[in-house]
Amino acid sequence: MSTDHDHIQELLAGHALRALSGEDAAEAARALDEHVPACEDCRRTLAAFDETAADLALATPPVAPPDLLLARLHRDMAPRRAARSWHPGRVMAVAASVVLVVGVTGLALTRGGGPGSAQLAAADLNAAIAAAEAPDAETRTVGETTEVTVPDGFYLYGEDVPAPPPGQVYRLWLWSDGEPYYVGEFLPDDGTVAVRVLVDGEFDDVVVTVEDATTEPAAPGAPAWQSPAPTAA
Amino acid sequence: MVADERVVGVDVDRHQLERVGRPDTLEGLARDLALVAPGARVQDDAVHAAEDIGPGSGRIRPVQDVAVEDVALHRRLVGGDREAFDELYRRYSGIAYGLARRLTADASLAQDVVHDAYLALWRAPEAYDPDRGAFRTFLLALVHHRAVDVIRREERMRARTEKVANLEPSASEDVAEAVTDESFLVVRRQQVRVALGGLSPDQRQVLEMAYFGGKTQVQIADELQIPLGTVKTRTFAALRKLRAALEETE
Repeated sequence: MSTDHDHIQELLAGHALRALSGEDAAEAARALDEHVPACEDCRRTLAAFDETAADLALATPPVAPPDLLLARLHRDMAPRRAARSWHPGRVMAVAASVVLVVGVTGLALTRGGGPGSAQLAAADLNAAIAAAEAPDAETRTVGETTEVTVPDGFYLYGEDVPAPPPGQVYRLWLWSDGEPYYVGEFLPDDGTVAVRVLVDGEFDDVVVTVEDATTEPAAPGAPAWQSPAPTAA
Repeated sequence: MVADERVVGVDVDRHQLERVGRPDTLEGLARDLALVAPGARVQDDAVHAAEDIGPGSGRIRPVQDVAVEDVALHRRLVGGDREAFDELYRRYSGIAYGLARRLTADASLAQDVVHDAYLALWRAPEAYDPDRGAFRTFLLALVHHRAVDVIRREERMRARTEKVANLEPSASEDVAEAVTDESFLVVRRQQVRVALGGLSPDQRQVLEMAYFGGKTQVQIADELQIPLGTVKTRTFAALRKLRAALEETE
């Protein structure tokens, strides 16, 4: 590479294949923010590499997905509403069942890894509400800092959760020993959030960020909400 | 197979066509293409030759027309049109699922990948900007990115086998699930195969490890015991060459 310009386009090739890491990924991100938008040649190159990368998908045979997948999508696309009234703004945890119910953020899905492992999954709304309203439910305050062990997981639940800006999503991160671990992303479903987070390991904080849906979750974006993790049973 | 013969536009025997029809790896694919159609170019005549191989209709719509339709469908999707969503699912879920299965080597994870990608499309359709490229490019990138994310998370949780970086059908793959392309993609798939045949083995290797193996360039350099700069150079050259070959066909 003889010039910075060529170097950037070399980075764009790796970016199109999602093959960058570390400093290269950071440098590409800077170039995408600062150089590419103002450089017609690089914009064309980026578009061409993105298109070529997508064409590589055609090098593997198509496979019919199970019929149930579309049915599952239709189910998840349907507006979901809470079976009963809820009070936003409260954060509660049911210590016995390790349930955290959040009234200000919420959302819906995905899977991922993290400290040990962590997964996001769509939650059964009624189960989340029932757990939160159990007699032994423990009310917690947002902002309280507690380092805990969570053997099972917790729920994120909320109503009247605002949709993120167009093209952006909420992403859930867990903090452990000062390191962020990306778990998954979600969007409010008609303002409602019901997500179960399964965790096998230790973490200190739960952080929800708002990030561009098309970017790799390499590092946490702007925090939308943060809470200490729920106390284990 | 008849479709292959007409698209590639060369005289080959049945045995050779069968090899083209089911490549085992990118390298194997390219080798077969070199054997069957050295220097073959999938140009307009190939498109014309393929016009009557679409299921039912007897004519294939040009990819450009389909891209315009995709944009119209996306516009309806922004307005919450579920029928538009279903049509986009019908058009691309086979490619998306095949890609996700190849990367994750796990049917359940692949379903999650496709589910999440389409659900993200439904919930935030504005993420696609028609001014920045074709809808198919956007959707398949979304699927690929999510599949790579799954691979890397899995890697953090446990050591992975090498099966994901191999285009050999996995043992768990039910080949009976293989489906026929949307007719307009038949030609494009052939164009991609021919274009891949023009890459050097080294170039195909880094593309395969990155795109289908979900590996970073640093990991590729480590595995191949070559400098990181060489991986970057090969990747850049491979994509440029591939792009140039595909542009000739557009």
